Amino acid sequence: MNKYTVINPHEPFRVLNTHVHNIDGIAKVTGRATYTFDVKLPGMLYGKILRSPHPHAKIVNIDFSKAMEIPGVIGVVTGKDTLGVKQGIWRRYNDLCDEQVLPIEKVRYIGEPVAAVAAVTEEIAEKALDYIEVEYEELPATFEPLDAIKKDAPEIHEGFERNINVTRHIEWGEVEEAFEEADYIREDWFKCGGQHHMCMETRAAVASYTPEGKLTVWTSTQSAYYHQALLAGVLGLKEGNVRVLAPYVGGGFGGKFELDAAQFCASVLSMKLYKPVKIIFTREEDFIASKRRTPMFYYTRTGVKKDGTFCAREAKVFTNGGAYTGMGATALYLTGFFHSFPYRWKGYRYDGYRVYTNTLPSTSMRGFGAPQAMWCSEQQIEWIAADLGLDPIEMRRKNSHHEGYIVPGQATIASCGIDQCYDEIRKWIDGKGKLPANRAIGLSACGFMSGGIFNWFDSPYSFSSAVVTVNNDGTVELHVGAQDIGQGSNTTMAIICAEALGVKVEDVKVHSGDTDHCPADLGAWGSRQTLMTGNATKMAAESAKKQLLEFAYAGAGLNIVYDLDIKDGWVHAIARPERGEPFVDLVKRATRGKDGQRIVGRGYYTPHRKGMISPAYSYMLQGVEVEVDEETGKIKLIDSMTAHDCGQPINHLGLIGQLEGAFSMAAGYGYLEYMPFEDGKMMNPNLVDYKMIKATEMPPANIAEIDTYEPEGPYGAKEAGEGLTNPTAAAIGNAIFHRFGIQMKECPVRPEMIVNALKEKAEADKGKK
Amino acid sequence: MEKKVITLSVNGVEYELYINPKTLLVEAIRDHIGLTGTKRGCETVSCGACTVMIDDMAVKSCSVLAIQADGRKITTSEGLEKNGELAPIQKAFLDEGSYQCGFCTSGMLMSSEALLRENPTPTEEQIREGIEGNICRCTGYNSIVRAVAAVAKGKYAEVKS
Amino acid sequence: MIHDFTYLKPGTVKEALTMLADHADECKVICGGQSLLIVMRQGLVTVDYLIDLKGLDELNYIKCDDKEGLKLGATTTHRTIEKSDIIKKSYPILAAMEEKLASIQVRNWGTIGGNLAHADAAGDPAPVLISLDAKVKLGSAKGERVMTLEEFYTDLFETALGEGEIILEVQVPPMAPKSASAYQKFNLLENDQGIVAVAVTLAADNGVCKDARIVLGNAGVTPIRAKSAEKVLIGQKLTDQLFAEAGVAAAGDADPVSDIHSSAEFRKHLITVLTKRMAKQAWDQANKG
Repeated sequence: MNKYTVINPHEPFRVLNTHVHNIDGIAKVTGRATYTFDVKLPGMLYGKILRSPHPHAKIVNIDFSKAMEIPGVIGVVTGKDTLGVKQGIWRRYNDLCDEQVLPIEKVRYIGEPVAAVAAVTEEIAEKALDYIEVEYEELPATFEPLDAIKKDAPEIHEGFERNINVTRHIEWGEVEEAFEEADYIREDWFKCGGQHHMCMETRAAVASYTPEGKLTVWTSTQSAYYHQALLAGVLGLKEGNVRVLAPYVGGGFGGKFELDAAQFCASVLSMKLYKPVKIIFTREEDFIASKRRTPMFYYTRTGVKKDGTFCAREAKVFTNGGAYTGMGATALYLTGFFHSFPYRWKGYRYDGYRVYTNTLPSTSMRGFGAPQAMWCSEQQIEWIAADLGLDPIEMRRKNSHHEGYIVPGQATIASCGIDQCYDEIRKWIDGKGKLPANRAIGLSACGFMSGGIFNWFDSPYSFSSAVVTVNNDGTVELHVGAQDIGQGSNTTMAIICAEALGVKVEDVKVHSGDTDHCPADLGAWGSRQTLMTGNATKMAAESAKKQLLEFAYAGAGLNIVYDLDIKDGWVHAIARPERGEPFVDLVKRATRGKDGQRIVGRGYYTPHRKGMISPAYSYMLQGVEVEVDEETGKIKLIDSMTAHDCGQPINHLGLIGQLEGAFSMAAGYGYLEYMPFEDGKMMNPNLVDYKMIKATEMPPANIAEIDTYEPEGPYGAKEAGEGLTNPTAAAIGNAIFHRFGIQMKECPVRPEMIVNALKEKAEADKGKK
Repeated sequence: MEKKVITLSVNGVEYELYINPKTLLVEAIRDHIGLTGTKRGCETVSCGACTVMIDDMAVKSCSVLAIQADGRKITTSEGLEKNGELAPIQKAFLDEGSYQCGFCTSGMLMSSEALLRENPTPTEEQIREGIEGNICRCTGYNSIVRAVAAVAKGKYAEVKS
Repeated sequence: MIHDFTYLKPGTVKEALTMLADHADECKVICGGQSLLIVMRQGLVTVDYLIDLKGLDELNYIKCDDKEGLKLGATTTHRTIEKSDIIKKSYPILAAMEEKLASIQVRNWGTIGGNLAHADAAGDPAPVLISLDAKVKLGSAKGERVMTLEEFYTDLFETALGEGEIILEVQVPPMAPKSASAYQKFNLLENDQGIVAVAVTLAADNGVCKDARIVLGNAGVTPIRAKSAEKVLIGQKLTDQLFAEAGVAAAGDADPVSDIHSSAEFRKHLITVLTKRMAKQAWDQANKG
């Protein structure tokens, strides 16, 4: 069913890119893996959150005395029980810290928490919500960025003129001059929908505060360190007095690294009651109040020469930021940057406006602004190729990034396999021959980052750190702050550690998800861990190995020009691999030599001198074969092929899983995952009405892996988990374009839109005749 | 409301429970018996994370009252392995990487296992139909389909000595 | 949260009907509960007594003969119907419809009686069964009565079931010679409920359409007989032109709503297309048989 092509022969690695089972696999396939959802502590109470029914209202009074009378209700908290800290994940900028998780004065979206109750059972807690009386003074509300930005629109946050929350400007080259060189200029407006992360495990936290003044929080998180720091900040505790534990995490996708109401309310309740409190969002709560992919209005104007050479592009974007900033500020920058990808522009200008509205806040989600950027860019480029009668692959190819290219003022491209991607996809298309009349293929290219550089969180720590400890029996403890949220980072780190140290994967135990025992790490977002934590892990393992080899050299009596190495647990001279000793023997000697101290290697990584955005970039080209019913507009995905350059693959199974999984989510963004709001209310906050790809809808997701070597990445690796969310919506749009000649400018594309567009086209064609 | 005593046989062990009749089967399994491998991901019988087998039949345990399963034989993901030996479908999930976050995995395993018990040699289309009631947000399903297909092809059949 | 209730489990139909009579206005019947438990959890339905018919094996049967047609006991599960050889042979459309009804898990536990009584306008079985001219046998402590399934539906989530009355059996007459049925729902995911659905049963006689029953699902508050579409076809030698005309007529018979999944106008458009296609499909098959 799936083809898996390896283009380049691999380095002779012992562990890297071999068929390694996920190290958490047995726990996950036997039901042993426990999640925050499963955590149960002695004396634990259950919390529930009361949420605002209004999109915009002042909180006049909250009376919870009747709720307190219900047997089994132990406590209620409101904003008044908190320090009132306005928090945000962009800690570096005060004005972007704009969210009180339990607001004191007013609510700004439907579903915003206003109070939380703790009771002896979940059922009693839920019942108690009906007995909390909140008096609101409703305020006029505004829901769409193009309305909220008007002069007379209601003010959502004080001091933000026209509700503009953040602006971003990116520019290089002489844009106007570059446009003048163009023979053909095309401009289009696009609308990009929101999308919900829809993690299988909803937002979840268990908080336990004890009289020592210490708080322990189990939570479903993408970054234990962020939540430690954020909770300490809002609760007035020292970071060291907050311990965040992430057991197995039921998905993240960009939605679980801001402070959420489960974490905050459980903590506030626990601090008031000195009892453990567990809060799990219902699926509906998760939909209406756990943020989403940022909806965007996109204007893009592109100038090219007759021969298809790209000259200039300018884009203006208005995003529906919803009620608070969160990670939205980053999405606003990244969408503008990746809108230029993967092409060279002589002049490029982007202006982004993130606008507050009285809706669910928007944030990061897998792809981080790039799926929207590509939806617009890659369709417009396809249309330009059609307008000019040029081959869309060759037009893309001649303008693409290449190794050594510098995105002016932004990034240096140290590795880039996009050129081979064009060849692979061409081969795939040619192999298909003539398609049935109701099918067409659409293409889309893109690139993505391998972790972010800008330190908006203001972390004082290295972006990633790792500690490798070698036990006397040759087993290895690897402590990392990287968060495994299902993408397999624990396994990836175990592979890197095993490869670097020369041991077997099963001898490496990975410790992560515990701020008390693991080094700080920014966590799982922006496709950063393989590169950043991978570098830290490799450095730590190599340091341990170097220390061990010192003892080996000392006893080996080798000529100084000869080297020793460790592979598969065998310490040996490289030139005479049969001469050596078992790893465990060396470890024992070294431990004794260190007066009984275990060998410890430390590693860390923070990007330096790698530009503005990211240390490295992945590249990809995707083709999707789509069937569309002309009369009903129904879309069916038939096949797909993605040529993908992620540098040196490390975790073979994990890589395939990431690519296939990203495809399903990206396809959903293209044609299924519609998230409509009416007067600020989400209309389909359940899994009956919110549509996602199921097994019956998923086409083959074939992969042609293009191996390059990324000098900044561990063993040459770069990102693989996120970028593949970017191309698919546009590829589907382009397939529809090639099927019917209609241009879909709004995603997700729904059947009704196709039928209406076909009607319009028929009328326009009639008019022409 | 009158509480009732029911008996559930879960993974071969008999549990006598004293429950409110509104207790859902998933609540009985997770909260009363304490087997937390079975998950819940929605309130609308949509996600399939709570899938268990009643006899050899896959059902969503959030859509059944525990009392309706009184006296029935229930299997959860914890019941697939025998004395530390994983069942073929579990081995196949490991080999194909058919899980990521793992939250849907228990339910996915039970749907797959029920399918294979009913039809040991399903076509790809039948496999997809068989797990259609289970949402997986991570994998894109194809690795799960490959795992079920591998079991069907006999890759994990016991070698007779 | 589900509100507390007293659980009653009858051992026989007779016992069930007595319990129903005793608690007529304060009880609700559960069978598979695949839909009921959802609305109970949402607090939309609260009951003092829940009478569980799921285990009533007396009503778990499929009987079929050439004279009487098909009889389905109310507690027969969807999955049993889907996999029944006799149904696959004699009423293939029923098995095909069941195969695309929700997930296997739901079909394993959910029952045909429960589905029909729930009266969801987007339910799959009702349009197909009405197109097959099915009847339902209802029973209460007072006695039994039989009515057409078409009459059974009175409004959104409303049926003709009286106090203390339940569905006992679904009765489907034998298929007329040279007749065939076709059913298609339009949805985004393969096993979802239909945004709209169309069931068509046609009977042919010497190349002329002798009888037509066209039923629209989720095109109004109840399943709708598209009688003007049927009129277009009956007595005619059917052509693509007539199938298309029937489609347009069916849209005229429909009274759909606008919601997030589709505008009312698009629903009508879909009904036009699906009616045309299903009529043609049924016709081609009827003439083969």
